[in-house]
Amino acid sequence: MLSQFDYIKPLVLDDALTFLAEHEQTYILAGGTDLIIMLNKNMIDAKYILDIKYIPDLDVFKFTEGEGLEIGANVTVNELAECDVVQTKYKALCEAASVLATEQLRNRATLVGNICNASPGADLPPSLLIYDATVKIASVKGERIVPLREFFTGVKKTQLNKDEIVVSVFLPDPGKKDDSIYLRQTRLRGHDLSTVGVACRLKGDGKVAIAINAVAITPLLLSDLSNQLNAKGLSEESILWASEEIKKHIKPITDVRASKEYRLHMAGILLKRCLAQLTGKEV
Amino acid sequence: MAQQAENKACAMTTAHAESMKRRVRLTCRVNGQFVVEDIDPTMLLLHFLRDRLKLFGTKEACGEGECGACTVIMNGRPVTSCLVLAVEAEGSEITTVEGLAKDGELSILQQEFIKFDALQCGFCTPGMLMSARALLDRNPDPTDDDIMEAMSGNLCRCTGYRQIFDAVKKAAKREREELKRS
Repeated sequence: MLSQFDYIKPLVLDDALTFLAEHEQTYILAGGTDLIIMLNKNMIDAKYILDIKYIPDLDVFKFTEGEGLEIGANVTVNELAECDVVQTKYKALCEAASVLATEQLRNRATLVGNICNASPGADLPPSLLIYDATVKIASVKGERIVPLREFFTGVKKTQLNKDEIVVSVFLPDPGKKDDSIYLRQTRLRGHDLSTVGVACRLKGDGKVAIAINAVAITPLLLSDLSNQLNAKGLSEESILWASEEIKKHIKPITDVRASKEYRLHMAGILLKRCLAQLTGKEV
Repeated sequence: MAQQAENKACAMTTAHAESMKRRVRLTCRVNGQFVVEDIDPTMLLLHFLRDRLKLFGTKEACGEGECGACTVIMNGRPVTSCLVLAVEAEGSEITTVEGLAKDGELSILQQEFIKFDALQCGFCTPGMLMSARALLDRNPDPTDDDIMEAMSGNLCRCTGYRQIFDAVKKAAKREREELKRS
């Protein structure tokens, strides 16, 4: 490791924000499963590492009936996967959290870190997008709330400014009779990034929401496709239509994990499987 | 520049490259022993265990959390110590492979690894043992899927996974029997 950094451990959010605003080359450390790889590989030159794990405000992990679930920046992926509320109310998120990387990494990695790293293939964003997640961002200037669908701006790029910290992610209460699923394709069973991953939600009113990763420069909430499908109504015919139509809404590339053509094909297959499982229809 | 080149060369080995930064105090417990050390803030937990505490059981291979050779148990959870800064271990309880044997006797898990020939070159073994230990501590009666999932973050290049899986399964059974007896 070439970086010669000081390790800073604030105990109050305001102190962390002030430090961040006043010091260049400061990197925020939560789980570290992306940051420390970048340090080990000398991909970044850090002067300060700002460890936010000792800030109690960022530990928030609370569900309020009728309102929703707030997931603080220090909540790890395994804490998420093991949480009763997530298991029952946000199934797709639980499924995504359970398959992300490995047991060792899930014990360190955080949900907020996963979105801030902004990998187009990250496992958690599709399952957050279908629940209309919002991101609470803080800086010395104050707080702002951004819909997650506007948070990602490109490959490994987000709306987050250098002096800002993501405090938490909020998922509205989906209510009863809501169901969801996350299915992904990987090259091997076990530890791999997704080649394509699709999250679908069937809401209490019978409408669906669809989101997908690894097929564009950012994870995508496919609102237009969902609206068109909802207008048609869910049937075997419309599910088959959507599994073809989805190819017009995504722009995958060919890389080490898969070809563009394979991703287009699998996006359709996974969407079909998701909708079939959610609706109990045989397609 | 010369220092940087030297550091770069060092980065390819399993040793810590000094940053010349002011040292910070680290207080934790490792294998039940109280540890107080002044360390370089850029030091990884992996290198702290190996270079400073001379606990060479924990191995470095990929350095990016892919292979699991550096797995240790931190506050009851398995983590890859190559992706944890040593300073992050402040106040924590750490168990390495050296902490498994008690009073000179190998643990049941270690005994079963030997019985099942669950190792060949042995490089991945400490990480495998720590992942398995963490699993059995949390779930003494794991299903086959539980074992496979818990061990999927550990790669082995020579023995193959069947023997490792069988050893963990048998160790779980023996540990449960032992618990009943006591």
